[in-house]
Amino acid sequence: MSAQKTLFVDYSKCIGCETCEAVCGFINDKPRIHMTRTRDGLMVPLYCHHCEEAHCAKVCKKGAIAKDRDGALVLQTMLCRGCETRQCILACPFGAIFATATGVAVRKCDLCASRRDLGMNPACAEMCPCGAVMFVERDKVEQLTTEESETSLKRVIEHIRPAVRRKA
Amino acid sequence: MNEAMNFNFLRNAPLPPNGRKVAVIGAGPSGLAAAGYLGGLGYQVEVYDKLPKPGGLMTFGIPSHRIPSARIDAGVLILERSLGVNFHCKTKVCCSAPLHEEEGDHFSWDMIGLGELVENHDAVIICTGSWKSRRLGIPGEKLAGVYSGLEFLFPIRAARYDTRNMHTPDVTGKNVIVIGAGHSAMDAAHAALHLDAAKVSVVYRRTKEDAPCGTFEIDRLLELGATWVEKTSPTAILGKAEVQALEVEGPEGKRTLPADTVIGAIGEIPTPPFAGELGLENIRKGDVRWLNMTAINNVFVAGDVLSGPSKVGKAVESGLKAARSLANWLDMKSHDPDACFSEQERYKEGRP
Ligand SMILES: Cc1cc2nc3c(=O)[nH]c(=O)nc-3n(C[C@H](O)[C@H](O)[C@H](O)COP(=O)(O)OP(=O)(O)OC[C@H]3O[C@@H](n4cnc5c(N)ncnc54)[C@H](O)[C@@H]3O)c2cc1C
Ligand code: SF4
Ligand code: SF4
Repeated sequence: MSAQKTLFVDYSKCIGCETCEAVCGFINDKPRIHMTRTRDGLMVPLYCHHCEEAHCAKVCKKGAIAKDRDGALVLQTMLCRGCETRQCILACPFGAIFATATGVAVRKCDLCASRRDLGMNPACAEMCPCGAVMFVERDKVEQLTTEESETSLKRVIEHIRPAVRRKA
Repeated sequence: MNEAMNFNFLRNAPLPPNGRKVAVIGAGPSGLAAAGYLGGLGYQVEVYDKLPKPGGLMTFGIPSHRIPSARIDAGVLILERSLGVNFHCKTKVCCSAPLHEEEGDHFSWDMIGLGELVENHDAVIICTGSWKSRRLGIPGEKLAGVYSGLEFLFPIRAARYDTRNMHTPDVTGKNVIVIGAGHSAMDAAHAALHLDAAKVSVVYRRTKEDAPCGTFEIDRLLELGATWVEKTSPTAILGKAEVQALEVEGPEGKRTLPADTVIGAIGEIPTPPFAGELGLENIRKGDVRWLNMTAINNVFVAGDVLSGPSKVGKAVESGLKAARSLANWLDMKSHDPDACFSEQERYKEGRP
C-alpha cells in the first residue's frame, strides 16, 4: 500500500474565495467541497478529512464507502442504496457528505480518484490561490497544524456541530 | 507541496497544437483560468493585460498577506512554460472610455483595438474585471484626500512596479475614515493601520451582523485598534481643498467626524471595452443562444466584467465555462463553416 494521503485545509490561510468549490464543481458537475458561512461571517469550505477511523464507512451497512490504495474514503455509487436514514451524513463529524436531489443519494469527495489514477492531485489543492488546501500524507497533518490553524478549525467545528445535530 | 495556483490543473500535458489562436483580454483569475483551459486543448493563447503583471485583482487588489503573490506568479509561469501561453502586459485593449479613466491605465504602453484582435484570432475572450469604483454620490467627493477602495489599495500594490508614477497614499499620523463593510473596506482599513494612520474608523450604514465581511473580520480589525461606527451613513465630505471632516447621519442624528482621508469602499462597477456593442445585459440574463458569447461573433466574455464584483472562485468558474463554450463554438464552426448567428437569431426574443 502506498502512503496514506488526505486533504488538509489550513482555515487560517483560507480567504473564503470559493475557488476550491468552483473547480470541484467544474470537474464533478456538483461540488464535493462546500462553502459555508459561520455565524461570525467566516466563509470556509467543509471538506472530507479522509479519516483514519472513518465513521462514515463504519455506519454504512452496505459497505458503500471504502478506503482505496491512497487512503481516500471513496463512495462506490453502485453499492449505495440510498437508505432513508442517511447514516453516513449523520456520522461524519465534518459535514462532508452531502445529500443529493437526484441520482445517487449522497455525494462525497474521493480525493479526485480519476485524477490520481493519472498522477494528478485533487483539483482544489491545485487551484487554491492561498495554498490553504493541501494534499498531503496523513501523518504530515500534525506538522502542518499551527496555533492559528487550530483556532480557526475550532471556529469551524463550533459552527458545524450544532448543524449536524440539528439535522438529526 | 504545491507552490502554484495551477491554472493547468485539468491536464498533465497539453494536447498537440490545434492551429487555433485565441486572445484573452485581462489576466485576472477568469482570464488565467480560460487561458489554462484553452492552452491545454492545444490553442495558441495570447493574453493581454494593461498592468505590468498578470493576476488582476489577486495581484493588485487583494493584499498580499491574504493571497501570496508568489503562488500566482508560479501559476503564470506554468501557463507560459507548459502551455506556451504568451503574456502581453502593459497593453490596453481599446476601451469605450478614454485613457486614464480606470485605476492602472497609466501603466499601459501599448494600445490595441478590439477589432484588430478579433481579426487576428479565431476567437477573443474578454475578462477585464470590474475596476471602476462606485462613487459615494455625496457633496465633497472631489476633495483631495478622498479615495475609492481601489484607488487607495491599488497604488500600495503597484508602487513596486513603477515608483515614478505611483505613490503610496500618505496616511501616516492621519485620521482615516473608511466607508463600507465589504472585503475591500476591510482591506483598506487594514492597509491604513499598516501605514501608521493615527486613527482608523469604519463607517457602515447597517449593523455589524449585516456586514458582508462578517463579524470576525470586524473584531479582528478592532483588536488592531480601529473604531467601528455602525448604522451611520455619510452625508457630505467637508473641507476647502482637502478633506477636513465627514458629515454623517446616525442614530444620534447628524454629526461631523474629523478626517484627513476618506475612503469610500462601497464596491466596483464593470468596465468592458465596447460595453454597448457587446450586449452584456442579454448574456447576464442568460438570454443568448451560445453561453458567454457576446453580440459580436467569436467574442466571449467571463468573470467580474460580466457578473459585477464577485469572488475569485466565481471568476475562475466563469472563465472555465466561457472557455469551454468558446471551444465548443469553434468546434461546431469547423464542421459548419457558415455557422454564425444573424442579428435576429442571436437573441431568444429577438433584438431587444
Ligand atoms: C480590495 C479587494 C478585495 C477583495 N477580496 C476578495 C477576497 O477576499 N476573496 C475573493 O474571493 N474575492 C475578493 N475580491 C474580488 C476578486 O478579486 C474579484 O472578484 C476577481 O479578481 C475577479 O476576477 P476577474 O478575472 O473577473 O477580474 P480581475 O481580477 O479584475 O482582472 C481583470 C484584469 O483585466 C485587466 N484589464 C482591464 N481592462 C483592460 C483592458 N481594456 N485591456 C487590457 N487589460 C485590461 C486588468 O488590468 C486586470 O488585470 C476582492 C476585490 C477587491 C477589489
Ligand atoms: S466523510 Fe466524514 S467521516 Fe467519512 S472520511 Fe470524510 S470526514 Fe471522515
Ligand atoms: S480555494 Fe483556498 S482560499 Fe479559497 S475558499 Fe477554498 S480553501 Fe479557502
